[in-house]
Amino acid sequence: MKDQILLVQNDALAAIAAAPDARSLEEARVSVLGKKGSLTVLSAGMKDVPPAEKGEIGQLLNSARTAITAALDAKQADLQEIADRAALVGIDPTLPARALPAGAVHPLTLLRERAVGILRRMGFALADGPEIEDEFHCFDALNTPADHPARNAKDTFYFDSGKLLRTHTSSVQIRMMEKCAPPLRITAPGTAYRRDEIDSTHLSAFHQLEGLYVDTDVSLPDLKGTLEAFLREMFGADTAVRFRPHFFPFTEPSFEIDVKLEVKGQAPRWIEVAGCGMVDPAVFEAVCQSRKDRAYDPEKVTGFAFGMGLERLAMIQWGIRDIRLLIENDVRFLRQFA
Amino acid sequence: MNVSLNWLSEYVDLAGKSVQELDDLLTFAGIEIEGIHTKGVSSDKVVVAQIMEAVQHPNADRLKVTQVDAGEGTLRQIVCGAQNYKVGDKVPCALPGAALPSGFTIGETKMRGVESKGMLCSGSEIGVPDQVNGLLLLQGDPAVGTPVKQLFASDVLLEVEVTPNRPDLLSHRGLAYELAALLEQEHQTLELPALPTRCGSEWIENDAEEACPFYSLTKISGVTVQDSPDWLKERLVSIGLRPINNIVDITNFVLHEMGQPLHAFDAAQVGVRMHLRGAKADESFAALNGSSYALREGDLVISDDRGEVLALAGIMGGATSGVTATTTDILLESAYFTPTLVRSTSRAHLLSSDSSYRFERGVDPEGVLPAAARAIQLILEIAGGQIEGETAVVGSLPVLTGVVELDTARLDQLMGGSIELAAAENILLRLGLSAVGENLWRVPSRRADLQRHIDLVEEIARVHGLDKVPSRMRATFVPASDIDAAADLDMNLRRSLAALGFFEAQTIKLIAEKQLVDALPLRPLQNGDLVAVSLPLSEDHAVLRPSLVPGLIATAERNVRQGLKSLRFFEMGRVFRHNGGGKARDLESESIALLLSGPVAPESWSAAPAVATVHDLKAALQAILPGCPLQFTPREREGFVLACDVTGGDSNLGVAARLRPARERELDFAHPVWLVELDLTKVRKWLGRRRVVEELPQFPGSSRDAAMEVAASLPAAEIDKAIAKAGQSLLQHFECFDVFTDPTGQKLDVAKKSIAYRFHYRASDRTLKNEEVDAAHKQVLETLVKELAVVFR
Repeated sequence: MKDQILLVQNDALAAIAAAPDARSLEEARVSVLGKKGSLTVLSAGMKDVPPAEKGEIGQLLNSARTAITAALDAKQADLQEIADRAALVGIDPTLPARALPAGAVHPLTLLRERAVGILRRMGFALADGPEIEDEFHCFDALNTPADHPARNAKDTFYFDSGKLLRTHTSSVQIRMMEKCAPPLRITAPGTAYRRDEIDSTHLSAFHQLEGLYVDTDVSLPDLKGTLEAFLREMFGADTAVRFRPHFFPFTEPSFEIDVKLEVKGQAPRWIEVAGCGMVDPAVFEAVCQSRKDRAYDPEKVTGFAFGMGLERLAMIQWGIRDIRLLIENDVRFLRQFA
Repeated sequence: MNVSLNWLSEYVDLAGKSVQELDDLLTFAGIEIEGIHTKGVSSDKVVVAQIMEAVQHPNADRLKVTQVDAGEGTLRQIVCGAQNYKVGDKVPCALPGAALPSGFTIGETKMRGVESKGMLCSGSEIGVPDQVNGLLLLQGDPAVGTPVKQLFASDVLLEVEVTPNRPDLLSHRGLAYELAALLEQEHQTLELPALPTRCGSEWIENDAEEACPFYSLTKISGVTVQDSPDWLKERLVSIGLRPINNIVDITNFVLHEMGQPLHAFDAAQVGVRMHLRGAKADESFAALNGSSYALREGDLVISDDRGEVLALAGIMGGATSGVTATTTDILLESAYFTPTLVRSTSRAHLLSSDSSYRFERGVDPEGVLPAAARAIQLILEIAGGQIEGETAVVGSLPVLTGVVELDTARLDQLMGGSIELAAAENILLRLGLSAVGENLWRVPSRRADLQRHIDLVEEIARVHGLDKVPSRMRATFVPASDIDAAADLDMNLRRSLAALGFFEAQTIKLIAEKQLVDALPLRPLQNGDLVAVSLPLSEDHAVLRPSLVPGLIATAERNVRQGLKSLRFFEMGRVFRHNGGGKARDLESESIALLLSGPVAPESWSAAPAVATVHDLKAALQAILPGCPLQFTPREREGFVLACDVTGGDSNLGVAARLRPARERELDFAHPVWLVELDLTKVRKWLGRRRVVEELPQFPGSSRDAAMEVAASLPAAEIDKAIAKAGQSLLQHFECFDVFTDPTGQKLDVAKKSIAYRFHYRASDRTLKNEEVDAAHKQVLETLVKELAVVFR
């Protein structure tokens, strides 16, 4: 019996070692440990072993089973390892990527988000108004004389109803002041329209970013501090900013703002980026009349307003030479903003 | 407006000011300089020099070392690269310290190791045209040491952009006044002879006092019309005007000197009496520019007792009444025309002139007669002749300015305390205002823009400069508006779509009428729903888009032309329509639209990607509206196939469809074009919904599959409905996992399809027993049989 056990063990270990694949390994297992396997058969013979030898034979049987099982496990791991390695053959990590669809957000959106994000951190809330406007909100309330050049079918899109497509987002100032009492701090990005032929620097529909801050003690230092902070956040902390006096009907005093653009390999130059000014008392007066109250009494409140062209900012930011790229939606262009 | 610096220097001391300094000075006073053109050289340190010797530079083949006589007693050594001269020639020599028109200042230097004390100049280097390549060879043997500016007139032309509120700056004297104020100089006044006037109502009949409150006419007889003297021609040429004859040139000169337009009539060509009146309906006017204008009723004209239109008031003179070589007697007009009327007439006839430009912005009422006096002085001096009688005037000059109070407390508040009152007052004084009481300021007549406290503040802020104002930042908490919330949701949506491979398009909201065939608005358009502009720029931009889809199709079409195969675009933004055939007007709402066509992934070396179907479009929608119970319900739309209403629960989100195949072919699309347009506010509503977390299940569930044979045409939505009808409370959810059809009819009748569902059952309070699951499943299947007569396989 002892010899038989040792013989079965040795034969089994040899068969396991020789098994070339998972199938022959399984055959080897079945032939030893299966229902009719050689070791199973020997184990069944335990009942005939004299009691005095049972301990020894039992131990031998156990150690044979342990050894065979360990050999089976080890061989199986080896075979798996070989199979794993074989499965890797032919995988070439240097082949290019299998493509996933990848889109992008439009650059004007990216720019608007950035600009609006800065202003929102400074306490400006988003605002909006209609693009089909009336003359009151687009011109009259903004202190624009009745015979101002902009109020002309040649320069502005009118409708037969007498309404028009807003020529600037400044109309949102009036809409918001009509709706909300001061203090008011808003920014309104949006589309504006002018009857300009489309060329490399003009669009007939373009985007502006409007800002307005009205309270009891808003002053030129607030205008200056806010816009400097905005432009430095937008163009870089070291950006030089200058304010040139200018004229707009709805602000007084009014300024145009330039930033010094430093492009590597080019002489630095001042570039106009925005218009701004203290809200003209006539605008507040128009709002009071429209609201039928004195919430915006120009004797009590002051404010500043500013506006800038988003296409222009995008062109400066990314070195875009032709404004039409921003409306053509060519994927070769859009992909660059992914 | 063109300004000659030489001319300007006659009225204000600009000595020692560089052009750059003047540019800055004006720019920061709110007067934009759009261009600077230099003619000739203005520096005294560019002089005539004679080349006495020229030898080869020891270290450079292309350079010579010259010794020149610049009239200094000793010769000067200058290294020069030009080749076109010979010893003995006279050339311009820039001595150290000379500022050249380019802005470059000459210094002493070493060139390749050899000292060079100045520069010999080409024509362009000193601002005169180059005639040869190389040095400018001076003709006529000028004396050495003579400043070259004596040989060539030098000047700087400034192109000045004057804002519409400052008509007082539209002349050399006006600008000089401003510069004197900025430079804190005394203003130089012009001494003029007295101009005696008389009431002219017998000669001049004014039927248009509103349009012309004041009109003057002076008759000068016996003038000799000929070319202007050189100085006068030079002045006009220096600002780009063409000299015509002495009389016309003088009126132009005075306009640009003083800002008051004048007009001279040939007295022989006008009637006995002058008549200011509105034009008649059918009247026409032959202007001196050679064009003829059909006048509008009410256009102000200068006419006479014969009824002829002699001039379109304030804008242009007539073709026949102007001054010519044969003119001997003239009538000189100087008037105040009301700005709005001049502007309206000028714009209506698309006719503008230097004269209308000033009248429509408003001339200085107190400058009307002085300008006449100035012109008369020059005419008598240059063209001879004599004044006949006194200047005839009708009407009275408008008074447009008065006394304005400066609110010093508010000035201080607005300026942030950055300017002392005395300094502010000094600015007002320099600008020509005069103090007439405590904080009361009389405004000069030429500054009609100064009417209110804030107008004075503007002047102070402008001259003081914003650089001297401190910066302040007062950020406070502001709660998010509804628009803030919407913008944030929109941005998330954009990012999701970009991650799904969609490109955001931004298209122009004005589209062509012919693009409307592609419109897929949320509700079909009715007659009268379109919003069209009255006067479009072109057919391509005639109506406001009622839908985003036409823009997306145009975008896809453009990209197809560039070879793009996989088309994925979206746009978010406003759409416009009247509603109910124009009953509700000008409705602006916000939409989001997607376009999907072609391979669902970019091509690669791996297996070719599938071509997008309606179910890919649905997948994109489901991805951006996670968890939303999206339903597509077929409903026909003109111009599209497979159109469906899209709902999410009880919310009508919008519409999805495929472009008509014929239209796809017309636009060269290789694959079906899938489109969806949704109401953005409803999409936001879903995205911004309040979320309450569902407890995770405590007990395991169990699933059952069922494959059923149904008519091939049965929509899956019908099966969904039938399952819902079963109302089985243990059924948690179910999904379709296979659809099988056999076009050959071998395995399955061609009129049938096999559709397989997996049903998931679970109870929240216990582990279900098999029998319970079986019973529940049986109930669902029986309902399906009852509702749809399905056959289970």
